[in-house]
Amino acid sequence: MQTAPASVTRLIEELAELPGIGRKTAARLTYFLLRDKSDLAGRLAEALRNLKERTRFCSVCYNVTEEDPCPICADPGRDHTIICVVEEPLDVLALEQAGVYKGVYHVLHGVLAPSEGMFVEDLRIGELVARVRGSDVEEVILATNPTSEGDWTASYLLTRLRPLGVRITRLGRGLPVGGDLEYADAVTLTRALEGREAI
Amino acid sequence: MLIPLSPLALSVYNRAAMRVRYLSLTNFRNYARLELALPERPLLLHGANAQGKTSLLEAIYLLATGSSPLTSLDRQLINWEAEAGGLPYARVWAEVVRRDRVQEVEVILEKKPLANGTTRLQKTIRIDRVRKRRADLAGRLNVVLFMPQDVDLIAGPPAGRRRYLDDTLCQVDRAYCTALEHYTEALRQRNAALRHLRDEGGDPAQLAPFEEVLAREGVVIANGRRELVAALSQRADRIHQQLTGGAEWLRLEYRPNFDPAAPPALKYQMGLGLQPYEGPPLGVGAEGLVAAFRQALLTRRADEIARGMTLIGPHRDELRFVAGSPAQGTHEVDLGTYGSRGQQRTAVLALKLAELAFLQARTGEAPVLLLDEVLAELDAARRRYLLSQVDRVEQAVLTATDPEMFSAEFRERAVLMEVRGGIVTEAAAG
Repeated sequence: MQTAPASVTRLIEELAELPGIGRKTAARLTYFLLRDKSDLAGRLAEALRNLKERTRFCSVCYNVTEEDPCPICADPGRDHTIICVVEEPLDVLALEQAGVYKGVYHVLHGVLAPSEGMFVEDLRIGELVARVRGSDVEEVILATNPTSEGDWTASYLLTRLRPLGVRITRLGRGLPVGGDLEYADAVTLTRALEGREAI
Repeated sequence: MLIPLSPLALSVYNRAAMRVRYLSLTNFRNYARLELALPERPLLLHGANAQGKTSLLEAIYLLATGSSPLTSLDRQLINWEAEAGGLPYARVWAEVVRRDRVQEVEVILEKKPLANGTTRLQKTIRIDRVRKRRADLAGRLNVVLFMPQDVDLIAGPPAGRRRYLDDTLCQVDRAYCTALEHYTEALRQRNAALRHLRDEGGDPAQLAPFEEVLAREGVVIANGRRELVAALSQRADRIHQQLTGGAEWLRLEYRPNFDPAAPPALKYQMGLGLQPYEGPPLGVGAEGLVAAFRQALLTRRADEIARGMTLIGPHRDELRFVAGSPAQGTHEVDLGTYGSRGQQRTAVLALKLAELAFLQARTGEAPVLLLDEVLAELDAARRRYLLSQVDRVEQAVLTATDPEMFSAEFRERAVLMEVRGGIVTEAAAG
């Protein structure tokens, strides 16, 4: 069987390690880079190297950043008495794009899921507790996902944060905007009804 | 594909209760492909062993409960030839007719490759082509399946009896099925956390979120099982007495592993003696039970961390079959330990018929009766009794290696089909 040169095979194998990319896609991407005349491969290589070399975790909120503390934590215009706790850096991005939240964040880097080998010791929870304790933080918003794992994590966070006497809230849950009532599942409808508001 | 019903057909279905009108199998066990319109009369499947008779019943059971009665490994249900040929999926689809509606119920099993080279089995349940959860199968199609190996239910390991209770309840009780799903998942997570705490240490408070779920759902499970066992016990006793000509009575006893209502001394006694469980005393509300369960889990933490597993809860419940005879006064026998094979067989027949009556009372419609090769195990009187039940249900599917086992009169009103190598053909003469 005819095999590709080692450097081609190597890139195919590395790309195939990425989530959502199988061997076929990896091969297609590799040959695309090989044929490309605009030095995309060179720019990609530089971007990849910088990704790890220039970034680190913010020592305050543990979001990914190039400067420490991160621009959000360093911004005096933001409300540092409210912390929004999220699972992943991508969640910060989503909330920032919405552009309504003016407080600061704390990134856990995962959720409690023992059967997948994720325990509370693997999350940035001790750091969150230390950050809240003895500070002027007034409110902690638990913004973990509305999944089983997200709920377990929020439930554990509650036991750790409650003794600190800070106000603890959870994101509202219910119907998606633009969604259709008749297609919502029973759990969502139950939650939406429980969380209904007077207008 | 739903065929519009003519007014005439509709009147038939109004009279009709629940039945499977059409069954389609793809790569299920030894069926590469089956398209079968099920007759209105009792269906008698015959053929040599290992040809696919039982698999057909298994497929119908899978649609009713979401799980196989024969294996807990769903991947075994996928036809191995299809798998070897690079099509690792199986599909069971049926058109289910109820008094007021026709529904498509479908279960798809698919092996998905994982990045690390292994595979994961994905089970998809769809109702009228919309993806649903296992709990949503409740109330769609109800079946009672009776197989020769069901006699092991009585003397076999307790997990089989728990599973029997779960599968029966999941057919009718959506809330129970949901509670069971949540409980099972929280148990898996808590056990993983217990092993982690034992081996590496850490904050035991991370057990609390799972204990909350176990306590809340555990109470739902225990209540559901207690009610079911009481309902089955009463009916099974009546049938058992008929089957034995009044010589023997039967009682089903639910023995919850964790019983917050019972004081410790009584609980110990219950494990030894045979007095029936009465349930929690009046006044202990569900909230009280949840709190007691939560507290018990909290108290046992150190012990459970050392053992690396959760030791209390419904996942360790027991169900016992107790029989006695009016001739022998108060003497009673635990059939699982001391029952003869014949006694166990009679008791399991009584249980299955009690299940039939329970499902009918609960849903208002007779379940589909699936009888796998059971006649061979029964004497003439019990055989007659069982076949008389076939007339009481809307639909019955039976299997036999030898159709001659059935009376000529029964074969006359049944539809006979032969199963050979995963192919079903209607016999020329009934």
